[in-house]
Amino acid sequence: MRVYSLAVGLLASLALSLAVCLEPWFQSWKGSRTKSDGLLQTALGDGRKLFASHFYAKADAYFHNGYYPTVFDNRDGYAKAHIAADMHKEGEEDEAAENYLGKPRDWIDAFSRHFYPARHTHLGDSGCGHSCCQRAKDGQGHADDCEHKGHEEGHHGAKRSDEREILPWLRFSEELDPERVETYVVCAYWLRGALKKVDEAEQFLRMGLRANPGDAELLFELGRIYFEDRGDPVRARNVWELGLKNWRQRESGKPEPNVFLRAQLLGYLATLEEKQGNYARALEHLTALKTISPHKEAIQRWIDEIRYEHTP
Amino acid sequence: MNSTTLPTSPAAPRDFALAAPTGASTWTNVWAIAGVVIKELCRRKDFYVLFVLTALITLVMGSVNVFNQENVFRYLKEICLFLIWASSLVIAITTTARQIPAEQENRTLFPLLAKPVTRHQVVIGKFLGCWLASGAALAVFYLFFGLVAAAREHDWPIVNYLQAATLHWFALGVLCAMTMLGSLVFAAPSSNSTIILVVSVSILLVGRHLNKVALKLSEPLQTVVQAVYFAVPHLELFDVRDLIVHDWGLVPWLIWAAAFAYAAVYSALFLALACLRFRRKAIH
Repeated sequence: MRVYSLAVGLLASLALSLAVCLEPWFQSWKGSRTKSDGLLQTALGDGRKLFASHFYAKADAYFHNGYYPTVFDNRDGYAKAHIAADMHKEGEEDEAAENYLGKPRDWIDAFSRHFYPARHTHLGDSGCGHSCCQRAKDGQGHADDCEHKGHEEGHHGAKRSDEREILPWLRFSEELDPERVETYVVCAYWLRGALKKVDEAEQFLRMGLRANPGDAELLFELGRIYFEDRGDPVRARNVWELGLKNWRQRESGKPEPNVFLRAQLLGYLATLEEKQGNYARALEHLTALKTISPHKEAIQRWIDEIRYEHTP
Repeated sequence: MNSTTLPTSPAAPRDFALAAPTGASTWTNVWAIAGVVIKELCRRKDFYVLFVLTALITLVMGSVNVFNQENVFRYLKEICLFLIWASSLVIAITTTARQIPAEQENRTLFPLLAKPVTRHQVVIGKFLGCWLASGAALAVFYLFFGLVAAAREHDWPIVNYLQAATLHWFALGVLCAMTMLGSLVFAAPSSNSTIILVVSVSILLVGRHLNKVALKLSEPLQTVVQAVYFAVPHLELFDVRDLIVHDWGLVPWLIWAAAFAYAAVYSALFLALACLRFRRKAIH
């Protein structure tokens, strides 16, 4: 009995010693998931980024009222999420490219189109599928005796700001992949634009900055909130100048830097300085912008205008 | 009808009366067998567990705060409908898959066929019971969905929901018939359930796209995939979740009727094959 007790005691001491030795190593081990923030991160690991991309695409699908190409369809018109493309106002949408379905290939294909959204619309459009409602939405009105009269204001007669419907998927996407900057930018754009939720947009961008410290794109969006919504040019300037500094540090060395972001930062800074009467600073920013902008003549006209009007 | 539902069992329904297979009595027999299947689903826990799980997940997702924004409901409708589809597939397939193997395993098939009931009546009665039981489960699920949607959306497009539920029910009819055939072909209910579940989910996910996939293949694979595309029952036709979630209008009723006919043809085909198979099957 005494031998057994001693053996158990020995094993217990051995286990304790091993635990003491291994614990510090385990805590510093890079593969450990004990430092993960949440259940999702622990359970899914890096796989959560795939789900995050899926949810981001889901938000874009909601933007199109469910009309969205799958991996089997022609995705030419959908290379970039339209919730993001709309944000940057990149010209007219190419309706032909976005009609990914084309003509029905066979009777099953033709028949099946009655059972899923098979027409290109956006949130806020009449989603009821009646061509007369779409024409009415475009300002041509319904015939007096049309049974669908009133649908153009949203199906079932309710007027809605449907853009809010994309928010949950962006929120889920952010939860799964906090390092995806695009999610914060797009979500903040819709929050402060269509939904007039400036506080929530700022809060969300700050969450993004906590997950991605000093990111220039997030700083640019935050600056827009201060400048356009809060009317606080001083903080906007500080944020944009920090964004420009960070852009130089992180992007200038890259083979394909995000020049569009730098152009936006310089353009907005130039506008701000011009409005604040700091013409010399505005000219500095515009000169830098001219070197990277594809619209050099327009920038030059802007420079000339400032020089002509405000230089003694 | 397993040992717990046999007329000789104390737990069996006492109104279980089977008539000779002549004329109108055929339907009496079929309805009697179907009635037992429906009662069996009521006694089993599968439906209750899946319903509670669906309700719980939907309510938890509904409590998510989305940037203090009220009236965000499309995501909730999508999640709820996804759970309803998943649950209904599991209920329909598992209920149908165990019917005939359980009768064989419990040796209750001989007394059932000695009533006398023909083998065709057993197959059709079992199918009808499973389909109606799935329909009853769907009715509860869609009622819950309607209540959740109405609470968030303050709108109740009941005809749209009714159309979605009936289309969903037609799809389950095809699935029940397919599983019934599978239960006479495959050795065990577990293998049958797994195979039918994999096949049905595959059809739902890629069925619509097989023709596009075929175009990118070289012969003879292209012809094979095209043949599969035209041969498989397109269950995805009955999935109108996107129309419901994004508030699109009703499917035209003629198209709805055509979908019903499509489902009826496939169900009849699978049932005929099941009857043929069961007629030649040795019951030992």
